[in-house]
Amino acid sequence: MDTVEKANLERQRKWAKVKKVGEGAYAVVYQGREVATGRKVAIKKIKVGQFKDGLDMSAVREVKYLRELHHQNVIELLDVFSSKTNLNLVLEWLEADLEKIIKDRSLVFLPSDIKSWAVMTFRGLEFCHRNFVLHRDLKPNNLLIAADGQLKIADFGLARDFADPGYKMTCQVITLWYRPPELLFGSRHYSSAVDIWSVGCIFAELMLRTPYLPGESDIDQLKTIFRALGTPTEDDWPGHTKLPDYMPVGQFPKMPLRDLFTAATADCLNLLSKCLIYEPRKRVSARDALHHPYFFALPNPTHPSKLPKISTQASSHPHEDTDGNVEMDELGPGVRALPPNKLKRKLSSADEGRRPLARRLDFSQSSLGSP
Amino acid sequence: MALATQQPNGDDEPSTKPAHKRSIYEASTQYRHWRYSPEQLAQTRASLNAAAVSAIRITIEAESPGSSSNVTFLNADEERLLVKLYVSKITQLCGHFRFPEDVEATAASYLKRFYLKNTVMDWHPKNVMLTALFLATKTCNHPISLDEYTSHIPNTSPSDVLDLEFLIAQSLGFEFAVWHPHRALWGLWLDVQSLEDFPKEGITEIYDTALSHIRASRLTDAELIFAPSQIALACLALSSPTLAAAWARSKSSENVLPILESIQEMITRDGSPPNVEAVRDVDRRLKLCKNPEKVVGSKAYLAKKDQEEKAAAEKRARKAEEVRKTMEESDPFGEALTGKHGDEAVDVAGLDDDD
Repeated sequence: MDTVEKANLERQRKWAKVKKVGEGAYAVVYQGREVATGRKVAIKKIKVGQFKDGLDMSAVREVKYLRELHHQNVIELLDVFSSKTNLNLVLEWLEADLEKIIKDRSLVFLPSDIKSWAVMTFRGLEFCHRNFVLHRDLKPNNLLIAADGQLKIADFGLARDFADPGYKMTCQVITLWYRPPELLFGSRHYSSAVDIWSVGCIFAELMLRTPYLPGESDIDQLKTIFRALGTPTEDDWPGHTKLPDYMPVGQFPKMPLRDLFTAATADCLNLLSKCLIYEPRKRVSARDALHHPYFFALPNPTHPSKLPKISTQASSHPHEDTDGNVEMDELGPGVRALPPNKLKRKLSSADEGRRPLARRLDFSQSSLGSP
Repeated sequence: MALATQQPNGDDEPSTKPAHKRSIYEASTQYRHWRYSPEQLAQTRASLNAAAVSAIRITIEAESPGSSSNVTFLNADEERLLVKLYVSKITQLCGHFRFPEDVEATAASYLKRFYLKNTVMDWHPKNVMLTALFLATKTCNHPISLDEYTSHIPNTSPSDVLDLEFLIAQSLGFEFAVWHPHRALWGLWLDVQSLEDFPKEGITEIYDTALSHIRASRLTDAELIFAPSQIALACLALSSPTLAAAWARSKSSENVLPILESIQEMITRDGSPPNVEAVRDVDRRLKLCKNPEKVVGSKAYLAKKDQEEKAAAEKRARKAEEVRKTMEESDPFGEALTGKHGDEAVDVAGLDDDD
């Protein structure tokens, strides 16, 4: 047998499929495990044999980018192997996605929870953009949640490198509700700002618990956007009426975001509005978003491990999540209130009690200090 | 950019530097898996060649004992010469299809990387080149349909291209992203235009000459040894030594200049297509020493297919037996309450079936 085939077989033997967990048009997803360690993984089997042109573009893109991108907030591609005419991607196992969490009406989101998901999304996206990769399909069900609460950007099937200036790209990307107006107007030259618009929509959805801009067609999507944010003027967005597919869809007045997002802080709405600026060049970058005052103001982002989890997993402890948050709040002052002599007497237990707080501080530092 | 620190070394892993201090290039699969010292490169090729020769000798002997002593196998340098010829053919094809430079450069890298894992005696570079180029159109986001692709290439059917796609993807370790010197040169070019002593005349010639050296470098091992930025600066230095030195000064990276000399030397020495007569001789000998197992219809090929078919049949039979056993062993009335072992076993056996 050839060396290359042998190496492939060795890779294949490292992973075992356990059960089928999903089937799509071109791929089957299995729950699997690493044979040596028992570690749970997801195996995405892409049927290549059925494609006339061989490996298809979404598989190529996914493999190309995930092979290069390694970050806490980007899904980890652990291995790739082939079996007959199938391509198998071994991915880290992720319990849930943000869409499921948003839709779970039994969960209560605290402002600190929303901030935590937002900062993890921006950190992952900043890393992609720093590596010159546009994701082009950000939406809540592509933001997966690990067992430890970490959010991971997934599904790079539509991703591509930043194009050189002057090079055309397709505008048929990003799921409609999360698609920015420049793509709806047919812009063939665009930037990382398209992903930021999507994050803005997701950010709003986390607060509203329902999609923010749910249009029914391309034109209706524009109307929905303009109804929410006001029809852009030439001042707001110079040159937009010259875009290839521009069409007037009616004049709508600007509504203050405050009217809809009644509970949000001023910092929060300021960041949201910067993600949803019409002029793509003025829209906030992922890097600048991470330096936004919202992420420095109280409350600190919830530690990922304390974030709400979908209730089917927590069924044995129905209030596990709120308990987590409450416990945090109690521990904070509790540690501070410890008299020094108690610390001396029961050093080990006091240390244990302090750990969650220390972790919490670490998290806010690492997320803000080094985006 | 840490130009001076990017000396070739054999580290598989990107050192122990903390993640946030590592440059983006250092985190790439190219930096981690596809950089060699000249010695490692020679060693890799020599051992690959030796292993191939001994394997093929055994196959030939099995077909007709004693016959392998008449065969002169290709050595590593001859293999390399043949691959080089087909790297130069990529340029011709890309010109024909008007593919962008990224596609051409990526296909060349794929072809060179492929032959660090395989031998031309198993896989002829002509076929590998065609598939590598087709794969590169996809990984560089410039896909064309397979039918259109093969209709422009004489004596090539879609299956000729597709049959090798998996093998090539595997050989590349599914690492499709490649960092190219021509991109780095473009970056340098934007940089040097803001230098004070940027010349006023002849600037187009400087860039075009540098780019032609970049293209020549694709015929060499440079990309397997040096960083793309180093190669780009070396090509700029071949075109305008003063401008390259001025750029290095402006970045306080003059210590990179000595490294450039060996790159320049390599490009000047190896950067032209091989002598066709010499390659023709290699190709003629390849016909006699290629692995019979890979020649469709040969005795060894049929024997190997037969063997594979037998193994597959055994595997199927084993699976069917497992399924039958679990069906028999699990009592349809008794086990549901205690556990689902039976179901799972059936499931597992069924899962691999379509693999």
